[in-house]
Amino acid sequence: MENEQFGPPAAEQIYTLNLGPQHPSTHGVLRILLDLDGEFIVKADPIIGYGHRGHEKMGENRLYRQFLPNTSRMDYLSGMLYNHGFVLAVEKLAGIDVPERARYIRVIASELNRISSHLLWFGTYLLDLGGFTPFLYAFDDREQILDILDRVSGSRLTYAYCRFGGVTRDVDAGFVDMTRAFLKRMEGRWADYENLVTKNIIFIKRTKDIGVIDRELARQYGVTGPNLRACGVRFDVRKAEPYEIYDRFDFEVPVCFNGDALDRYKVRFLEMLQSCRIIDQALDHLPQGPFQTEKIPLKIKPPKGEVYFPFESARGLTAYYLVSDGGTNPYRCHIRVPSFGNLNVINDVLPDTLIADAISILGSMDVIIPEIDR
Amino acid sequence: MKADEMEKALREEFPGALFAVDESGRNGVRYSVLIALSGMRKAAQILNAAGFFLETITALDFSDTFELVYHFNCYEPKSRIALRALCGKDQTPSSLVDTFRGAGWLEREVHDFFGISFSGNPDMRSLLLPEDADYHPLLKSFGKSGDSHKREDIYGK
Repeated sequence: MENEQFGPPAAEQIYTLNLGPQHPSTHGVLRILLDLDGEFIVKADPIIGYGHRGHEKMGENRLYRQFLPNTSRMDYLSGMLYNHGFVLAVEKLAGIDVPERARYIRVIASELNRISSHLLWFGTYLLDLGGFTPFLYAFDDREQILDILDRVSGSRLTYAYCRFGGVTRDVDAGFVDMTRAFLKRMEGRWADYENLVTKNIIFIKRTKDIGVIDRELARQYGVTGPNLRACGVRFDVRKAEPYEIYDRFDFEVPVCFNGDALDRYKVRFLEMLQSCRIIDQALDHLPQGPFQTEKIPLKIKPPKGEVYFPFESARGLTAYYLVSDGGTNPYRCHIRVPSFGNLNVINDVLPDTLIADAISILGSMDVIIPEIDR
Repeated sequence: MKADEMEKALREEFPGALFAVDESGRNGVRYSVLIALSGMRKAAQILNAAGFFLETITALDFSDTFELVYHFNCYEPKSRIALRALCGKDQTPSSLVDTFRGAGWLEREVHDFFGISFSGNPDMRSLLLPEDADYHPLLKSFGKSGDSHKREDIYGK
Protein backbone atom coordinates (compact mmCIF):
# COMPACT_ATOMS: atom_id res chain seq x y z
CA MET A 1 0.00 0.00 0.00
CA GLU A 2 1.31 3.43 -0.84
CA ASN A 3 2.15 5.45 2.19
CA GLU A 4 3.91 8.78 2.49
CA GLN A 5 5.99 7.68 5.39
CA PHE A 6 7.30 4.47 3.84
CA GLY A 7 7.20 5.41 0.18
CA PRO A 8 5.86 3.30 -2.64
CA PRO A 9 6.46 -0.48 -2.71
CA ALA A 10 8.89 -0.11 -5.58
CA ALA A 11 12.08 -1.74 -6.76
CA GLU A 12 14.12 -0.15 -3.97
CA GLN A 13 12.44 -2.47 -1.53
CA ILE A 14 14.40 -5.32 -3.10
CA TYR A 15 17.61 -5.55 -1.16
CA THR A 16 20.74 -7.54 -1.75
CA LEU A 17 22.16 -9.98 0.75
CA ASN A 18 25.62 -11.42 0.46
CA LEU A 19 25.61 -15.08 1.50
CA GLY A 20 29.19 -16.19 1.98
CA PRO A 21 31.98 -16.50 0.91
CA GLN A 22 32.84 -17.90 4.34
CA HIS A 23 29.46 -18.98 5.58
CA PRO A 24 29.21 -22.20 7.61
CA SER A 25 26.58 -23.63 5.30
CA THR A 26 28.08 -22.81 1.91
CA HIS A 27 30.38 -25.85 1.95
CA GLY A 28 33.45 -24.33 0.41
CA VAL A 29 34.19 -20.84 -0.68
CA LEU A 30 30.95 -19.88 -2.36
CA ARG A 31 29.37 -16.45 -2.40
CA ILE A 32 25.77 -16.01 -3.46
CA LEU A 33 24.34 -12.58 -4.14
CA LEU A 34 20.71 -12.86 -3.16
CA ASP A 35 18.16 -10.25 -4.19
CA LEU A 36 15.46 -10.42 -1.55
CA ASP A 37 11.90 -9.24 -1.38
CA GLY A 38 11.21 -9.61 2.30
CA GLU A 39 12.20 -13.16 3.08
CA PHE A 40 11.68 -14.35 -0.48
CA ILE A 41 14.49 -14.69 -2.98
CA VAL A 42 14.00 -12.85 -6.25
CA LYS A 43 17.32 -13.61 -7.88
CA ALA A 44 20.35 -15.66 -6.93
CA ASP A 45 23.74 -15.14 -8.50
CA PRO A 46 26.49 -17.48 -7.30
CA ILE A 47 29.95 -15.92 -7.45
CA ILE A 48 32.60 -18.62 -7.66
CA GLY A 49 36.27 -18.90 -8.48
CA TYR A 50 37.78 -18.23 -5.07
CA GLY A 51 39.37 -21.65 -5.14
CA HIS A 52 40.67 -21.54 -8.70
CA ARG A 53 44.14 -23.06 -8.71
CA GLY A 54 44.51 -23.85 -12.39
CA HIS A 55 44.43 -27.64 -12.23
CA GLU A 56 43.84 -27.91 -15.97
CA LYS A 57 46.92 -25.81 -16.71
CA MET A 58 48.93 -27.81 -14.19
CA GLY A 59 47.79 -30.97 -15.95
CA GLU A 60 49.21 -29.67 -19.20
CA ASN A 61 52.63 -28.67 -17.98
CA ARG A 62 53.66 -31.70 -16.00
CA LEU A 63 54.08 -35.44 -16.50
CA TYR A 64 51.00 -37.64 -16.32
CA ARG A 65 52.39 -39.14 -13.12
CA GLN A 66 53.04 -35.76 -11.54
CA PHE A 67 49.38 -34.85 -11.90
CA LEU A 68 48.25 -37.68 -9.61
CA PRO A 69 48.36 -35.63 -6.38
CA ASN A 70 46.30 -32.88 -8.06
CA THR A 71 43.43 -35.22 -8.85
CA SER A 72 42.29 -35.69 -5.26
CA ARG A 73 42.45 -31.95 -4.56
CA MET A 74 39.59 -31.03 -6.86
CA ASP A 75 36.80 -32.75 -5.00
CA TYR A 76 38.65 -33.26 -1.74
CA LEU A 77 35.80 -35.28 -0.25
CA SER A 78 35.90 -37.98 -2.89
CA GLY A 79 39.57 -37.75 -3.79
CA MET A 80 39.92 -41.48 -4.27
CA LEU A 81 37.25 -41.47 -6.97
CA TYR A 82 38.96 -38.67 -8.88
CA ASN A 83 42.31 -40.35 -8.46
CA HIS A 84 40.83 -43.61 -9.69
CA GLY A 85 39.20 -41.94 -12.69
CA PHE A 86 42.37 -40.19 -13.80
CA VAL A 87 44.37 -43.38 -13.61
CA LEU A 88 41.75 -45.20 -15.68
CA ALA A 89 41.74 -42.42 -18.28
CA VAL A 90 45.51 -42.53 -18.72
CA GLU A 91 45.54 -46.32 -18.76
CA LYS A 92 43.03 -46.27 -21.58
CA LEU A 93 44.96 -43.62 -23.48
CA ALA A 94 48.29 -45.41 -23.10
CA GLY A 95 46.99 -49.00 -23.21
CA ILE A 96 48.24 -50.13 -19.80
CA ASP A 97 47.03 -53.40 -18.30
CA VAL A 98 45.94 -53.70 -14.69
CA PRO A 99 46.08 -56.90 -12.60
CA GLU A 100 42.79 -58.23 -11.29
CA ARG A 101 43.67 -57.77 -7.64
CA ALA A 102 44.41 -54.09 -8.17
CA ARG A 103 41.04 -53.61 -9.85
CA TYR A 104 39.20 -55.05 -6.86
CA ILE A 105 41.27 -53.03 -4.40
CA ARG A 106 40.51 -49.83 -6.34
CA VAL A 107 36.79 -50.53 -6.35
CA ILE A 108 36.78 -51.20 -2.61
CA ALA A 109 38.76 -48.03 -1.90
CA SER A 110 36.55 -45.97 -4.23
CA GLU A 111 33.30 -47.18 -2.74
CA LEU A 112 34.59 -46.64 0.80
CA ASN A 113 35.41 -43.10 -0.25
CA ARG A 114 31.93 -42.66 -1.73
CA ILE A 115 30.39 -43.65 1.61
CA SER A 116 32.69 -41.31 3.54
CA SER A 117 31.79 -38.46 1.20
CA HIS A 118 28.07 -39.12 1.61
CA LEU A 119 28.46 -39.44 5.37
CA LEU A 120 30.13 -36.06 5.56
CA TRP A 121 27.32 -34.59 3.50
CA PHE A 122 24.76 -36.33 5.72
CA GLY A 123 26.31 -34.87 8.85
CA THR A 124 26.82 -31.33 7.61
CA TYR A 125 23.44 -31.14 5.90
CA LEU A 126 21.68 -31.90 9.15
CA LEU A 127 23.97 -29.44 10.87
CA ASP A 128 22.77 -26.79 8.41
CA LEU A 129 19.22 -27.68 9.33
CA GLY A 130 19.99 -27.24 13.00
CA GLY A 131 20.52 -30.85 14.13
CA PHE A 132 23.88 -31.21 15.81
CA THR A 133 23.79 -34.83 16.99
CA PRO A 134 23.70 -36.64 13.60
CA PHE A 135 26.85 -34.72 12.66
CA LEU A 136 28.76 -36.37 15.52
CA TYR A 137 27.37 -39.80 14.65
CA ALA A 138 28.27 -39.46 10.99
CA PHE A 139 31.78 -38.22 11.68
CA ASP A 140 32.36 -41.12 14.03
CA ASP A 141 31.42 -43.52 11.21
CA ARG A 142 33.42 -41.59 8.65
CA GLU A 143 36.43 -41.78 10.93
CA GLN A 144 36.41 -45.57 10.55
CA ILE A 145 36.69 -45.21 6.77
CA LEU A 146 39.46 -42.64 7.03
CA ASP A 147 41.38 -45.03 9.28
CA ILE A 148 40.96 -47.86 6.76
CA LEU A 149 42.09 -45.73 3.81
CA ASP A 150 44.87 -44.18 5.87
CA ARG A 151 46.18 -47.65 6.55
CA VAL A 152 46.58 -48.52 2.86
CA SER A 153 47.26 -45.17 1.24
CA GLY A 154 48.99 -43.17 3.98
CA SER A 155 46.66 -40.20 3.70
CA ARG A 156 43.29 -39.40 5.15
CA LEU A 157 41.78 -37.07 2.60
CA THR A 158 43.90 -36.29 -0.46
CA TYR A 159 44.75 -39.73 -1.69
CA ALA A 160 47.17 -40.58 -4.49
CA TYR A 161 46.71 -44.29 -3.97
CA CYS A 162 45.95 -45.48 -7.49
CA ARG A 163 48.85 -45.62 -9.91
CA PHE A 164 49.03 -46.41 -13.60
CA GLY A 165 48.89 -50.19 -13.72
CA GLY A 166 47.83 -50.78 -10.14
CA VAL A 167 47.93 -49.26 -6.68
CA THR A 168 50.85 -48.06 -4.56
CA ARG A 169 50.73 -50.83 -2.00
CA ASP A 170 48.92 -54.08 -1.41
CA VAL A 171 46.16 -54.55 1.12
CA ASP A 172 46.64 -57.02 3.94
CA ALA A 173 44.39 -59.13 6.15
CA GLY A 174 44.10 -56.22 8.57
CA PHE A 175 42.52 -54.08 5.86
CA VAL A 176 40.01 -56.77 5.01
CA ASP A 177 39.12 -57.26 8.68
CA MET A 178 38.71 -53.53 9.28
CA THR A 179 36.49 -53.17 6.22
CA ARG A 180 34.36 -56.15 7.24
CA ALA A 181 34.05 -54.71 10.74
CA PHE A 182 32.96 -51.39 9.24
CA LEU A 183 30.26 -53.04 7.13
CA LYS A 184 29.04 -54.94 10.18
CA ARG A 185 28.98 -51.75 12.24
CA MET A 186 27.03 -49.85 9.61
CA GLU A 187 24.24 -52.44 9.44
CA GLY A 188 23.04 -51.21 12.82
CA ARG A 189 23.80 -47.59 12.06
CA TRP A 190 21.61 -47.38 8.95
CA ALA A 191 18.61 -48.40 11.04
CA ASP A 192 19.51 -45.78 13.66
CA TYR A 193 19.79 -43.05 11.02
CA GLU A 194 16.52 -44.10 9.48
CA ASN A 195 14.74 -43.87 12.83
CA LEU A 196 16.46 -40.73 14.07
CA VAL A 197 16.60 -38.67 10.88
CA THR A 198 14.67 -40.01 7.90
CA LYS A 199 11.47 -40.36 9.91
CA ASN A 200 12.02 -37.18 11.92
CA ILE A 201 9.05 -34.88 11.42
CA ILE A 202 11.10 -31.67 11.77
CA PHE A 203 13.55 -32.89 9.16
CA ILE A 204 10.74 -33.83 6.78
CA LYS A 205 9.10 -30.42 7.20
CA ARG A 206 12.36 -28.71 6.31
CA THR A 207 12.97 -30.79 3.19
CA LYS A 208 9.72 -32.08 1.66
CA ASP A 209 8.64 -30.17 -1.48
CA ILE A 210 11.57 -27.79 -1.02
CA GLY A 211 13.79 -26.96 -3.99
CA VAL A 212 12.02 -29.10 -6.55
CA ILE A 213 13.99 -29.87 -9.71
CA ASP A 214 12.08 -31.60 -12.50
CA ARG A 215 13.59 -33.76 -15.22
CA GLU A 216 13.54 -31.03 -17.83
CA LEU A 217 15.28 -28.49 -15.62
CA ALA A 218 17.89 -31.08 -14.68
CA ARG A 219 18.52 -31.82 -18.35
CA GLN A 220 18.77 -28.14 -19.26
CA TYR A 221 21.57 -27.63 -16.75
CA GLY A 222 23.29 -30.98 -17.09
CA VAL A 223 22.54 -32.03 -13.52
CA THR A 224 23.88 -35.51 -12.79
CA GLY A 225 24.43 -37.87 -9.89
CA PRO A 226 22.09 -38.23 -6.91
CA ASN A 227 20.46 -34.88 -7.74
CA LEU A 228 19.39 -36.24 -11.13
CA ARG A 229 18.32 -39.62 -9.75
CA ALA A 230 16.12 -37.80 -7.23
CA CYS A 231 14.00 -36.59 -10.16
CA GLY A 232 13.38 -40.08 -11.42
CA VAL A 233 16.13 -40.59 -14.01
CA ARG A 234 17.91 -43.89 -13.48
CA PHE A 235 21.27 -42.79 -14.82
CA ASP A 236 24.52 -43.86 -13.21
CA VAL A 237 27.80 -44.09 -15.14
CA ARG A 238 28.64 -47.27 -13.27
CA LYS A 239 25.66 -48.90 -15.02
CA ALA A 240 25.44 -46.88 -18.26
CA GLU A 241 29.09 -47.16 -19.22
CA PRO A 242 30.56 -49.69 -16.80
CA TYR A 243 34.21 -48.95 -16.19
CA GLU A 244 36.77 -50.86 -14.16
CA ILE A 245 34.86 -53.98 -13.03
CA TYR A 246 31.54 -52.49 -11.98
CA ASP A 247 29.67 -54.75 -14.39
CA ARG A 248 30.60 -57.74 -12.21
CA PHE A 249 28.77 -56.55 -9.12
CA ASP A 250 25.15 -56.90 -8.25
CA PHE A 251 23.89 -53.50 -7.12
CA GLU A 252 20.98 -51.22 -7.78
CA VAL A 253 20.73 -47.57 -8.73
CA PRO A 254 18.28 -45.99 -6.28
CA VAL A 255 15.89 -43.39 -7.69
CA CYS A 256 13.17 -41.20 -6.23
CA PHE A 257 10.61 -39.19 -8.16
CA ASN A 258 9.74 -35.88 -6.48
CA GLY A 259 13.06 -34.11 -7.09
CA ASP A 260 12.87 -32.23 -3.78
CA ALA A 261 15.45 -31.94 -1.03
CA LEU A 262 13.99 -34.93 0.81
CA ASP A 263 14.38 -37.15 -2.25
CA ARG A 264 17.95 -36.06 -2.79
CA TYR A 265 18.57 -37.05 0.81
CA LYS A 266 16.88 -40.43 0.30
CA VAL A 267 18.84 -41.22 -2.87
CA ARG A 268 22.17 -40.53 -1.20
CA PHE A 269 21.17 -42.51 1.83
CA LEU A 270 20.22 -45.54 -0.28
CA GLU A 271 23.40 -45.17 -2.32
CA MET A 272 25.50 -45.73 0.76
CA LEU A 273 23.74 -49.07 1.30
CA GLN A 274 24.46 -50.04 -2.31
CA SER A 275 28.12 -49.10 -1.93
CA CYS A 276 28.27 -51.41 1.09
CA ARG A 277 26.87 -54.19 -1.11
CA ILE A 278 29.58 -53.60 -3.71
CA ILE A 279 32.33 -53.59 -1.11
CA ASP A 280 30.98 -56.80 0.42
CA GLN A 281 31.01 -58.57 -2.96
CA ALA A 282 34.45 -57.24 -3.84
CA LEU A 283 35.88 -58.51 -0.56
CA ASP A 284 34.34 -61.93 -1.20
CA HIS A 285 35.99 -62.19 -4.60
CA LEU A 286 39.25 -60.36 -3.92
CA PRO A 287 41.74 -62.44 -5.93
CA GLN A 288 45.33 -63.17 -5.04
CA GLY A 289 48.15 -62.03 -7.29
CA PRO A 290 50.16 -58.94 -8.10
CA PHE A 291 48.79 -55.49 -7.26
CA GLN A 292 50.86 -53.63 -9.85
CA THR A 293 51.92 -54.08 -13.43
CA GLU A 294 55.68 -54.33 -13.64
CA LYS A 295 57.79 -51.90 -15.61
CA ILE A 296 55.52 -48.92 -16.12
CA PRO A 297 57.89 -46.19 -17.35
CA LEU A 298 58.14 -43.05 -15.23
CA LYS A 299 57.53 -40.92 -18.29
CA ILE A 300 54.48 -42.34 -20.02
CA LYS A 301 54.16 -41.34 -23.66
CA PRO A 302 50.66 -42.24 -24.87
CA PRO A 303 50.17 -42.32 -28.64
CA LYS A 304 48.63 -39.31 -30.34
CA GLY A 305 44.90 -39.12 -29.80
CA GLU A 306 42.36 -38.38 -27.15
CA VAL A 307 40.21 -40.03 -24.55
CA TYR A 308 37.07 -38.85 -22.79
CA PHE A 309 36.76 -40.93 -19.67
CA PRO A 310 33.52 -40.65 -17.68
CA PHE A 311 33.10 -42.05 -14.19
CA GLU A 312 30.64 -41.65 -11.34
CA SER A 313 32.10 -39.60 -8.52
CA ALA A 314 30.15 -39.06 -5.31
CA ARG A 315 28.41 -36.08 -6.95
CA GLY A 316 27.69 -37.34 -10.43
CA LEU A 317 29.12 -37.70 -13.89
CA THR A 318 32.76 -36.68 -13.87
CA ALA A 319 35.05 -37.01 -16.85
CA TYR A 320 38.66 -36.50 -17.79
CA TYR A 321 39.20 -35.31 -21.34
CA LEU A 322 42.83 -35.88 -22.24
CA VAL A 323 44.44 -35.06 -25.57
CA SER A 324 47.88 -36.50 -26.20
CA ASP A 325 50.37 -35.16 -28.73
CA GLY A 326 52.60 -38.17 -28.18
CA GLY A 327 54.68 -36.34 -25.60
CA THR A 328 55.24 -36.88 -21.90
CA ASN A 329 52.50 -34.50 -20.76
CA PRO A 330 48.97 -34.06 -22.05
CA TYR A 331 48.31 -31.41 -24.69
CA ARG A 332 44.97 -30.72 -23.08
CA CYS A 333 43.64 -31.88 -19.73
CA HIS A 334 40.02 -30.93 -19.20
CA ILE A 335 37.92 -32.09 -16.29
CA ARG A 336 34.12 -32.20 -16.47
CA VAL A 337 32.90 -31.78 -12.90
CA PRO A 338 29.37 -32.64 -11.72
CA SER A 339 29.03 -29.78 -9.24
CA PHE A 340 29.24 -27.32 -12.13
CA GLY A 341 25.78 -28.19 -13.39
CA ASN A 342 24.51 -29.02 -9.93
CA LEU A 343 25.29 -25.50 -8.68
CA ASN A 344 24.32 -23.77 -11.92
CA VAL A 345 20.77 -25.07 -11.59
CA ILE A 346 20.14 -23.09 -8.39
CA ASN A 347 19.90 -19.98 -10.59
CA ASP A 348 16.47 -21.38 -11.47
CA VAL A 349 15.62 -23.17 -8.23
CA LEU A 350 16.23 -20.47 -5.63
CA PRO A 351 13.95 -17.70 -6.94
CA ASP A 352 10.60 -17.60 -5.09
CA THR A 353 11.85 -19.64 -2.15
CA LEU A 354 12.39 -18.49 1.41
CA ILE A 355 15.91 -17.65 2.47
CA ALA A 356 15.77 -20.30 5.20
CA ASP A 357 14.90 -22.84 2.51
CA ALA A 358 17.85 -21.66 0.42
CA ILE A 359 20.17 -23.08 3.08
CA SER A 360 18.29 -26.37 2.98
CA ILE A 361 18.35 -26.49 -0.84
CA LEU A 362 22.03 -25.64 -1.07
CA GLY A 363 22.87 -28.33 1.47
CA SER A 364 20.75 -30.90 -0.32
CA MET A 365 22.58 -30.30 -3.62
CA ASP A 366 25.88 -31.40 -2.06
CA VAL A 367 28.08 -29.18 -4.21
CA ILE A 368 31.82 -28.98 -3.68
CA ILE A 369 33.07 -25.59 -4.79
CA PRO A 370 36.79 -26.41 -5.25
CA GLU A 371 35.90 -28.95 -7.92
CA ILE A 372 34.00 -26.27 -9.86
CA ASP A 373 36.81 -23.77 -9.45
CA ARG A 374 39.51 -26.32 -10.26
CA MET B 1 18.86 -45.94 -29.69
CA LYS B 2 18.69 -42.16 -29.61
CA ALA B 3 22.36 -41.76 -30.50
CA ASP B 4 21.92 -43.69 -33.73
CA GLU B 5 18.88 -41.63 -34.69
CA MET B 6 20.91 -38.52 -34.05
CA GLU B 7 23.68 -39.78 -36.29
CA LYS B 8 21.17 -40.08 -39.10
CA ALA B 9 19.68 -36.65 -38.42
CA LEU B 10 23.09 -35.00 -38.24
CA ARG B 11 24.27 -36.67 -41.44
CA GLU B 12 21.19 -35.34 -43.21
CA GLU B 13 21.62 -31.84 -41.83
CA PHE B 14 25.39 -31.65 -42.38
CA PRO B 15 26.27 -33.68 -45.46
CA GLY B 16 29.84 -32.39 -45.48
CA ALA B 17 30.57 -33.18 -41.84
CA LEU B 18 33.37 -35.48 -40.80
CA PHE B 19 32.11 -38.41 -38.70
CA ALA B 20 34.17 -40.58 -36.41
CA VAL B 21 32.18 -43.59 -35.27
CA ASP B 22 33.10 -45.77 -32.32
CA GLU B 23 30.23 -48.20 -31.74
CA SER B 24 31.84 -49.62 -28.61
CA GLY B 25 32.28 -46.15 -27.15
CA ARG B 26 35.74 -47.28 -26.09
CA ASN B 27 37.12 -43.77 -25.94
CA GLY B 28 34.03 -42.45 -24.23
CA VAL B 29 32.42 -40.99 -27.34
CA ARG B 30 30.15 -42.89 -29.73
CA TYR B 31 29.92 -40.31 -32.51
CA SER B 32 32.36 -37.49 -32.96
CA VAL B 33 31.22 -34.99 -35.57
CA LEU B 34 33.30 -32.17 -37.00
CA ILE B 35 31.00 -29.51 -38.38
CA ALA B 36 31.33 -25.88 -39.43
CA LEU B 37 31.16 -23.39 -36.57
CA SER B 38 28.07 -21.78 -38.05
CA GLY B 39 26.16 -25.08 -37.85
CA MET B 40 26.68 -25.56 -34.12
CA ARG B 41 23.44 -23.91 -33.04
CA LYS B 42 21.40 -25.99 -35.46
CA ALA B 43 23.11 -29.20 -34.36
CA ALA B 44 22.54 -28.34 -30.69
CA GLN B 45 18.86 -27.72 -31.37
CA ILE B 46 18.55 -31.14 -32.98
CA LEU B 47 20.16 -32.79 -29.95
CA ASN B 48 18.07 -30.71 -27.56
CA ALA B 49 14.84 -31.77 -29.26
CA ALA B 50 15.87 -35.41 -28.89
CA GLY B 51 16.41 -35.06 -25.13
CA PHE B 52 20.18 -34.83 -24.94
CA PHE B 53 21.92 -32.78 -22.29
CA LEU B 54 25.09 -30.76 -22.58
CA GLU B 55 27.86 -32.31 -20.52
CA THR B 56 30.69 -29.89 -21.10
CA ILE B 57 32.16 -27.35 -23.48
CA THR B 58 35.87 -26.92 -23.88
CA ALA B 59 38.37 -25.64 -26.39
CA LEU B 60 41.71 -26.80 -27.70
CA ASP B 61 44.36 -24.22 -28.50
CA PHE B 62 46.37 -25.07 -31.60
CA SER B 63 48.90 -22.75 -33.18
CA ASP B 64 46.72 -22.27 -36.26
CA THR B 65 43.19 -22.38 -34.80
CA PHE B 66 40.98 -23.05 -31.82
CA GLU B 67 38.79 -26.11 -31.77
CA LEU B 68 35.58 -26.07 -29.74
CA VAL B 69 34.44 -29.42 -28.39
CA TYR B 70 30.90 -29.91 -27.07
CA HIS B 71 30.08 -33.20 -25.37
CA PHE B 72 26.42 -34.21 -25.35
CA ASN B 73 24.87 -37.22 -23.69
CA CYS B 74 21.44 -38.69 -23.07
CA TYR B 75 20.42 -41.03 -20.30
CA GLU B 76 21.04 -44.15 -22.34
CA PRO B 77 24.11 -46.37 -22.25
CA LYS B 78 27.10 -45.31 -24.33
CA SER B 79 25.35 -42.53 -26.23
CA ARG B 80 27.81 -39.70 -25.98
CA ILE B 81 28.07 -37.44 -29.02
CA ALA B 82 30.86 -34.91 -29.43
CA LEU B 83 30.29 -31.96 -31.72
CA ARG B 84 33.49 -30.28 -32.77
CA ALA B 85 34.09 -27.14 -34.76
CA LEU B 86 37.18 -25.24 -35.76
CA CYS B 87 37.08 -21.68 -34.52
CA GLY B 88 39.56 -19.19 -35.93
CA LYS B 89 41.56 -17.13 -33.44
CA ASP B 90 39.43 -14.04 -34.04
CA GLN B 91 36.08 -15.72 -34.65
CA THR B 92 33.10 -15.31 -32.33
CA PRO B 93 30.95 -18.43 -32.06
CA SER B 94 27.29 -18.01 -31.21
CA SER B 95 26.04 -18.98 -27.81
CA LEU B 96 23.88 -22.01 -27.04
CA VAL B 97 22.39 -20.45 -23.93
CA ASP B 98 18.91 -20.18 -25.42
CA THR B 99 18.97 -23.90 -26.25
CA PHE B 100 20.67 -25.25 -23.12
CA ARG B 101 20.39 -22.98 -20.10
CA GLY B 102 23.47 -24.58 -18.55
CA ALA B 103 25.60 -23.48 -21.51
CA GLY B 104 25.91 -19.95 -20.13
CA TRP B 105 28.36 -20.85 -17.41
CA LEU B 106 30.28 -23.28 -19.60
CA GLU B 107 30.79 -20.55 -22.19
CA ARG B 108 31.92 -18.16 -19.49
CA GLU B 109 34.52 -20.73 -18.44
CA VAL B 110 35.78 -21.12 -22.01
CA HIS B 111 35.96 -17.34 -22.25
CA ASP B 112 37.99 -17.18 -19.03
CA PHE B 113 40.47 -19.79 -20.12
CA PHE B 114 40.80 -19.08 -23.85
CA GLY B 115 39.45 -15.61 -24.47
CA ILE B 116 36.78 -16.84 -26.88
CA SER B 117 33.67 -14.67 -26.66
CA PHE B 118 30.26 -16.10 -27.42
CA SER B 119 27.82 -13.82 -29.16
CA GLY B 120 24.31 -13.95 -27.77
CA ASN B 121 25.37 -14.85 -24.24
CA PRO B 122 23.97 -12.01 -22.14
CA ASP B 123 26.42 -12.56 -19.28
CA MET B 124 30.08 -12.80 -20.27
CA ARG B 125 31.55 -11.78 -16.89
CA SER B 126 34.45 -13.90 -15.73
CA LEU B 127 33.34 -16.99 -13.88
CA LEU B 128 36.44 -18.52 -12.35
CA LEU B 129 39.07 -15.81 -12.81
CA PRO B 130 39.14 -12.48 -10.97
CA GLU B 131 36.77 -9.96 -12.50
CA ASP B 132 39.62 -7.74 -13.71
CA ALA B 133 41.67 -10.57 -15.22
CA ASP B 134 43.12 -9.65 -18.60
CA TYR B 135 44.82 -13.00 -19.27
CA HIS B 136 43.62 -16.38 -20.48
CA PRO B 137 45.60 -19.08 -18.71
CA LEU B 138 44.92 -22.07 -20.94
CA LEU B 139 46.37 -20.44 -24.03
CA LYS B 140 49.59 -22.16 -24.99
CA SER B 141 51.30 -18.76 -24.97
CA PHE B 142 50.54 -18.27 -21.26
CA GLY B 143 53.04 -19.21 -18.58
CA LYS B 144 55.05 -22.40 -18.63
CA SER B 145 53.70 -24.60 -21.35
CA GLY B 146 54.71 -27.30 -23.75
CA ASP B 147 54.96 -26.97 -27.48
CA SER B 148 52.11 -25.52 -29.43
CA HIS B 149 51.08 -27.73 -32.32
CA LYS B 150 49.11 -27.32 -35.47
CA ARG B 151 45.86 -29.26 -35.40
CA GLU B 152 46.98 -31.67 -38.10
CA ASP B 153 50.02 -32.67 -36.02
CA ILE B 154 47.69 -34.45 -33.60
CA TYR B 155 44.54 -35.27 -35.55
CA GLY B 156 45.96 -35.63 -39.06
CA LYS B 157 44.48 -33.84 -42.03
